[in-house]
Amino acid sequence: MLLIHDVHKTYRQAVEPTLQGLSLQFPRHCIAGLLGPNGAGKTTTISIICGLVNADGGQVEVLGLDTATQLAQIKQKIGVVPQSIALYPTLSAQENLEYIGKLYRLPNKILREKISHYLQLFGLEKNAHKAIRHYSGGMRRRANIIASLLHDPELLILDEPTAGVDVQSRNMILEFLRDYHRQGHSILYTSHLLEEAQQLCEEVAIIDHGRLLVQGNPAALMQLHQCLSLEQVFLHVTGRGVRD
Amino acid sequence: MRVLATLLNEWRLFRRDLAGMVLLFLMPLGLTVVMALIQDAPFREYRDYVFDVLWVDNDGGPMAAKLHDALSSGQFRLIDTVSGRRLDSTALRNLVQTGDYKMGIVIPAGISAEVVNSANQVANEMSKSTGAVGKLPARDTRSLTIAMYFDPVSKQAMKLSLLNAIDKQLTRTQAEMILGRLSDKLASLDSTQQTRFNLQEKLQAVGVREYSTGNAKAAQLNTNSVQHNVPAWAIFGLFFIIIPIAGNMIREREEGSLMRIRLIPGSYYSIITGKLLFYVLLGIGQFYTMLLAGRLLMPLLGLPALYMGHAPLALLVTVTMIALTATAYGLLVGALFQTPNQALPFGALSIVILSAIGGIWVPVEILPAGLQQLAKVSPLYWGLDAINNLFLRSGGFATVWKPLLILLGYTLVFVALSGWIEQSRRR
Ligand SMILES: Nc1ncnc2c1ncn2[C@@H]1O[C@H](COP(=O)(O)OP(=O)(O)OP(=O)(O)O)[C@@H](O)[C@H]1O
Ligand SMILES: [Mg+2]
Repeated sequence: MLLIHDVHKTYRQAVEPTLQGLSLQFPRHCIAGLLGPNGAGKTTTISIICGLVNADGGQVEVLGLDTATQLAQIKQKIGVVPQSIALYPTLSAQENLEYIGKLYRLPNKILREKISHYLQLFGLEKNAHKAIRHYSGGMRRRANIIASLLHDPELLILDEPTAGVDVQSRNMILEFLRDYHRQGHSILYTSHLLEEAQQLCEEVAIIDHGRLLVQGNPAALMQLHQCLSLEQVFLHVTGRGVRD
Repeated sequence: MRVLATLLNEWRLFRRDLAGMVLLFLMPLGLTVVMALIQDAPFREYRDYVFDVLWVDNDGGPMAAKLHDALSSGQFRLIDTVSGRRLDSTALRNLVQTGDYKMGIVIPAGISAEVVNSANQVANEMSKSTGAVGKLPARDTRSLTIAMYFDPVSKQAMKLSLLNAIDKQLTRTQAEMILGRLSDKLASLDSTQQTRFNLQEKLQAVGVREYSTGNAKAAQLNTNSVQHNVPAWAIFGLFFIIIPIAGNMIREREEGSLMRIRLIPGSYYSIITGKLLFYVLLGIGQFYTMLLAGRLLMPLLGLPALYMGHAPLALLVTVTMIALTATAYGLLVGALFQTPNQALPFGALSIVILSAIGGIWVPVEILPAGLQQLAKVSPLYWGLDAINNLFLRSGGFATVWKPLLILLGYTLVFVALSGWIEQSRRR
């Protein structure tokens, strides 16, 4: 579902390069985890995949489509849940979702059904008409996810979807991701919760300083590095130094 | 459909922005009313106003008396006694200096004698050239001045207009006295003793009066505070639309809703169009609200009603163009700045500056030549120019196409610049 080859990126205002020859690949129809310490380049990688940021060099293929030439098709097939809440805070969830659905050109009837289906699924139906800024952190995260699902993306990309949410919300989100995967969709997600990634992902890639360190099935990686958990593998390959 | 969805979405966002609504509708309305009321006074050019003027007469002769009569029959009330005491020059100066009275006039001793002397000189000169006999007593001219004192706080414009009024009276009184002497002299030469001709009448043989260049109504409109203020401040208020536009753009960028929009394929241009359309409609609505206030509200406040020309279609096109330019400027300000704290003060201040140089505060015609050229830099100038052509000159399309073309030019430049800035931000 994803092929990244030798991608470089240095932000204009930045001194250090963010991605320096990153290469990795994930097969179709899997739940993949993109892991790495703060500032490793996870969000940058996702931004390049969905065309928010242009890479300086290298090649990125998403679902067999090239980001350099087929961005519009890619955007139609992927759903991206940004790390920050990308919704209008003064509008209600219903209003936000209606607008986003219309921008995806969904027919009114289908859009209405989808919105009420997902609001129910994520337990937001009672608060559908409340402004997003009056939501709790967990509710915002869930609304943020729904906004990326309305157009039935083949590949769902989530940047730290479980950051800062309580156990109940997190379980709800993870349960949904498993379900969505079972329905035949691909999922790429980032997280700092390695235990969660270990349980959820079929495939993980650990990156740091804009380079791939290791990649593979969590169990296989644990075996290879003779560790008892993915977290130990992570610490083993990225070191114990604190990141800026 | 996306354009409509964006339009609806902008409306939903705006509906919740109470401060924005107040800013866009109530503030310009208040401003327009206040400005029209305040500026109504100078527009009457002190004509209906009676000024209290302190008066000290050290002369006591006929010239002073004539001047006294002439001035007090006009818009001046001459006061020579304050709290039971007769004024002298020193008391007068003090009262004006402290601001208790706006101005004072001191007539020097001997001006009547001086005028008589001048008249005699002229009469003698005439007799000599006509060969008539008899000579009136005359000596060399001594120059005397009538002293005027103004409250230091008085406006230059008021001073000028009063100085002019008094100068006119003075000239006239002097002329009357000299001519009176002459006609006396002539009468003494003429044995038939015919009745003296009316000097007052002769002096008014030629007068000045303002006539309209266009239709009869226009002359009245020119000196009408509503007619000058409502369109000017409506344009000013319309440009304040940039505050919500720039604010929303920056907020969208900060809050991430812009990111969401950019994740959706091929939606960017329909979204920009939808936003532009919403704000242009909002601007048009706001402008017509101001005009309507000029028409309906101003008469309730004792001001004349706004006359809106007779080319409603040209007016609509003009207003649309102004709203489009303002919106495009908002896009530019929103693209230029990273935070509302930078954009909003800059936006507001830039409008105040552009309006000041563009002739919103004072008519461009009274500015120095350099500033008059500078005015043309301001899009507000061209907006006001077009509206004035429609309202004051009662013009139609033919009179507004040029300023509208210039506004279109501004719009294109603003949109192109903001697009370019947004593009370069992605790197
Ligand atoms: N717009 C930008 N301009 C300049 N530098 C940037 C920009 N965005 C990210 N960076 C830099 O690039 C590096 C990688 O950032 P990125 O957000 O991709 O990391 P991340 O792996 O997502 O980190 P986190 O886990 O904290 O979300 C960081 O050092 C960051 O400072
Ligand atoms: Mg990140």
